[in-house]
Amino acid sequence: MVKKKRYKMKSIKKYLVLALLAGFGFFPNLKAQNDLQISRVFELYGEKKGSVMVELTDEMLEGYDFSLFKSITINNNPQAADFIRKCLTKDETGAKKVKQVVTNGIPTSIYLQLPRKGQLFRLILFNETFKPVQKITLIYIESKNDSEDVLKLILKKK
Amino acid sequence: MNIRIKHKTDFSKLDQLIEKYYEGMTTSDEEKQIRNFLTLPGLPKRFEVEKEIFGYYDQKKKKPHAGILPYFRWACVAAAVAIVVFSLQVYMNTNQTNYACIDGKKIYDVTQIKSQALESLSDVSPKTNEVEEGFNNLNDHDVIKQQLDVFSGL
Repeated sequence: MVKKKRYKMKSIKKYLVLALLAGFGFFPNLKAQNDLQISRVFELYGEKKGSVMVELTDEMLEGYDFSLFKSITINNNPQAADFIRKCLTKDETGAKKVKQVVTNGIPTSIYLQLPRKGQLFRLILFNETFKPVQKITLIYIESKNDSEDVLKLILKKK
Repeated sequence: MNIRIKHKTDFSKLDQLIEKYYEGMTTSDEEKQIRNFLTLPGLPKRFEVEKEIFGYYDQKKKKPHAGILPYFRWACVAAAVAIVVFSLQVYMNTNQTNYACIDGKKIYDVTQIKSQALESLSDVSPKTNEVEEGFNNLNDHDVIKQQLDVFSGL
């Protein structure tokens, strides 16, 4: 009887520890961009040499009111550009393509308006330039403001 | 006969100990002794009150070992740990999510982060109107030549 009780306690302890570990692993992944393939780009290239990754939460950025702003700029890495394009092809499903520029058959500029997640409007902006050097820029935006208004602000000529 | 004498002396010692207990002067060893005395068979009736007092404490002590309480205690510990870690993560998220990572090196200076963010935004936003740019590439001379070429075929 006592042995049985001890065994029960041990297994309960084991389940509690597992539940806690699972919980701790789960909490950081509750971000809205984690359902997107581009989140892998930030994970893979964010901390590599030649990359600049920015993450801003609930900050005003010259008139832009973003809940989340995440960007990555990668220099001289054509493989990364191909990888991003592949991710974007998957993230395109269900999204509205606001703009696409194709150069020599390859998309070099893509603006995607993603379906809303809760109260958040979401946007993905991608651009690749080749002069003076190959430079990729990928931006993910979450905002409580209408994504069209956010786009208008971004697309206005500088 | 010997045993009776022993019990007599024992109970007088118990009296002393109980007196000491009410004065709040007993050590934990002495309280243990009182408990042991009170469990002895043939205890005089005058110790009923003390028996009740100590019996009550004993019951209280035994309670946690019964039934579901140990699991509940573990669940409480787990919940407490989870709350602490969750609050820590929320705190970290609100305070540490503003950063820029340049060549693998993290910076937390907000003005620097903002300037990097604006730079990436300007990379994405069109510098000039693309249609306008296309027209600008054609100088007047080319336009005239192209228009004339269209009519030369007639």
